[in-house]
Amino acid sequence: MVGGGVASAVALPGSSEGVTYRPARWRGARLLSAADRHLAGRFAAGVTPALTAEVRAAGGGRAWFERQLAPGRIKDGQADQLGAWWPSLRLGPAELWRRQVQEIEFGWQVMESYQRWLLLRRIRTKRQVQETMTDFWLNHLNVPANGDATFTWRFDYDRRIRARALGSFRDILYAAVTHPAMGIYLDNAVSTKRHPNENLGRELLELHTVGRGAYTEEDVKNSARILTGWGVDMWRTWAAGYSADDHWVGRVKVMGFNHPNAHPDGRQVTRDYLTYLARHPATAQRIARRLATKFVRDQPPRALVDRLARVYLDNDTQIRPVLRSLVQSSAFRDSRGAKVRDPIEDVVATYRALGVRLHRPPANDDNHATRAVLWQCHGVGADPHGWPRPDGQPLDNESWATPARMLASMDVHWAMSGSWWPKVGITYRRHRDWLPRREIRLDVLVDHLSQQLLGTRSTARLLQACCDVTGLRPRTLITAEHDLVRWNFHRLLSTILDSPAHLTR
Amino acid sequence: MTDPSRACCSEYAALTRRGLFQGAALAGATTVFGSAVVTAAAASPTEADAVLVVLSLRGAADGLSLVVPHSDPVYYQARPQIAVPAERLLARDATFGLHPELAPMLPLWDAGRLAAVHGTGLPAPNRSHFAAMEELEDADPGSTTRRGWLNRLIGADGQESPLQGFNLGGGVLPTSLYGDDPVLSATDVASVGIAGDDEWDPKDLRRKSLHTLWDPTTGPLGGAMRSMFKAIDEFAPVKATANNRSRYPQGDLGAAMASAARVVRGNVGVTVVTVDHGDWDMHSDLGTLEWGGMRSNAAELASAVAAFFTDLGDQADKVTLVALSEFGRRVAQNANYGLDHGYGNAMFVAGAGVKGGRYYGTMPPLTGDVDSDVPVTTDYRSVLAEVVTTRFGASSAAVFPGFQPEQVGVMTSL
Repeated sequence: MVGGGVASAVALPGSSEGVTYRPARWRGARLLSAADRHLAGRFAAGVTPALTAEVRAAGGGRAWFERQLAPGRIKDGQADQLGAWWPSLRLGPAELWRRQVQEIEFGWQVMESYQRWLLLRRIRTKRQVQETMTDFWLNHLNVPANGDATFTWRFDYDRRIRARALGSFRDILYAAVTHPAMGIYLDNAVSTKRHPNENLGRELLELHTVGRGAYTEEDVKNSARILTGWGVDMWRTWAAGYSADDHWVGRVKVMGFNHPNAHPDGRQVTRDYLTYLARHPATAQRIARRLATKFVRDQPPRALVDRLARVYLDNDTQIRPVLRSLVQSSAFRDSRGAKVRDPIEDVVATYRALGVRLHRPPANDDNHATRAVLWQCHGVGADPHGWPRPDGQPLDNESWATPARMLASMDVHWAMSGSWWPKVGITYRRHRDWLPRREIRLDVLVDHLSQQLLGTRSTARLLQACCDVTGLRPRTLITAEHDLVRWNFHRLLSTILDSPAHLTR
Repeated sequence: MTDPSRACCSEYAALTRRGLFQGAALAGATTVFGSAVVTAAAASPTEADAVLVVLSLRGAADGLSLVVPHSDPVYYQARPQIAVPAERLLARDATFGLHPELAPMLPLWDAGRLAAVHGTGLPAPNRSHFAAMEELEDADPGSTTRRGWLNRLIGADGQESPLQGFNLGGGVLPTSLYGDDPVLSATDVASVGIAGDDEWDPKDLRRKSLHTLWDPTTGPLGGAMRSMFKAIDEFAPVKATANNRSRYPQGDLGAAMASAARVVRGNVGVTVVTVDHGDWDMHSDLGTLEWGGMRSNAAELASAVAAFFTDLGDQADKVTLVALSEFGRRVAQNANYGLDHGYGNAMFVAGAGVKGGRYYGTMPPLTGDVDSDVPVTTDYRSVLAEVVTTRFGASSAAVFPGFQPEQVGVMTSL
């Protein structure tokens, strides 16, 4: 258990200075069962009252999850409208480059727009599982979103991975490896038959598919040879196209893949090679382990990984059956609270929990909330898809459980609980609107807030922490005129956001 | 800091992955607690004997403007508008001279406390800012784990205190500091603290509440919270130091260096401080001695560094500062009074242990074609290795795995 493990074991009333802390009950809308909240919490960016209602309307967690696996059938107007908020995301690589050269808009600014778009999508989208899986694959097949040359193609890369995020890994891999963004990032765009550049050919084996130990250095050379031809007209038009002139021709052998590779047009051999790699048992193990680490726990049980790998291979690398098997496993069921929210997940969940509304940014928008949200992620310790290495941001808990991160997370929670920052382009709920009725006992209010912000009932510990921070007793009556609401409500909200339940998923 | 609840023993327990793997019986009692290891560290921070400040000039600073190779006619031919005239250079020797706007650092130079090493850089060119920064700061090519050289440096002593490393900038760590050893990261001294634990909360209710929430919590987050409480308590002497911000130049660098000086003067065991200085990516309007980005950036850099060493007071003799950039710029200027991405560059080394007042490294005759670079004649790691071995007694092989440093001679031996 990462957090909350002990807390749930202390569901008994605590006491301090003669006060007893017994969690009270606010009769609000029906909550999710513990199992359904766990499922929704792992695959969505935070269990809000709206998501709770959605899961319940679907007929429970599993039914909701099944619906989520067909995102095309889910209306998503709130998220779709974000596409118009950052017009440069619609521009092609040549135009983006022209704007950079003429210093109209730099590549890093385009990538900031992309990151902001991503964050707002995560906050708003009804297709939460697709969004989560898109993030998973973009991280596994990482092309950093920064001001380096990849910015010309990076948004298109997202589009292509997103469209396949719940399909087969075979398709995802082909889309990623042959994409100009990946080619630019890992030098395949400048690889030629005379000088096959090994960067992508190696990472494809080491990171994207089979992993270290499965291949030799000779395999790396052949991997690079197979991939020659996928060029980009760098620094000029940025047009991507297959160049048969650059393709290395001749027999290639990578592990058990053996191909005459006799034709200058090597697109088919690329396809065959990537299919071979996607279907390789070592790839199945690697994908299964990463999924289990992200969605179950660090150091996932071997039996689970083996089962997921088998499902993956039995279904020709289709992801949906693997995810179904994962969420039905006992290991998944037993992993409640076992995953730490990374900095980005924390910030996004905080926006969702507080129910703030974000407004469309104007052209000149330095302090606008849709920009500040990006700085908040940076402040807590991670930029969305900003990880500067091909291996992608870590999936484990330890990487995000540091003293500096705790301080920074609490900063974000505090500033937003007080409606202090961000200030522009955002509408917060008024503090008194958090009161579900005109007059309410503090212990009942804490239970209401726990349901609203965390999607779960309050505990004795949370109640005690809320009493500690406000200096009030559990049975204190709270009204809109109470000092707590007028001056100190941020202390209450931030305490709930600083709790282990909010920092885990 | 007088409330006894703040000295609760649980705050002196740090849970770390390194402790688990490296058998950390170094600083006190070690107990297995669930799947993690609790190491009770010493109750007071260890003072640092030596401090390293790494100042990263982000965007690829032009080393040929900062440290001018005035004896090479190609430099002047390739830069008809933006070359710095030889007669205006400071600290001139037969080959090099400093940009006139670096004048505030001249007293350090004259006192033998500041040196420059030219022709430094990565073993092979990399002209992408982000990719080059990653390579430069990871400094362990081929490694599968991401851990920067400064994290390896502070990890070498077995101490787990997050106070050993401090990124003045906040949030996402520079690659150099990223890794298993926890460090602090904040925009300034004032922001090292728990939001809400302030003068509006005289009874420390916020802290009490957080202890209620977190003290029984096991696992990495619980460990991080305990380590956080301990770190901010130990950091208190830094907050008590005088803030001499007004003696520094305007701008982010001055603010960061003023904070860095307080961190050092607080003497709470901070060993490594990282500071970023941006806006060196001068594709256009690098300019001349009368106008442009180089003039203002060089002036800001020099006055901030000079103010820093003055501000350090009696702590100055343990602080070494290294200023470096991810790569250099082309020899020949472009059509916009600027310079495109290049390769070799100059590094500055200042303070404790530096054999200053002179130039190091070699620069063969330049060529001035449109694509010509400053060649790299000294791997940047050779300079850094000399600093960490002489100042910290660290093993070069531990900080720069697989690298054989060459003698630069810029540091006095340990």
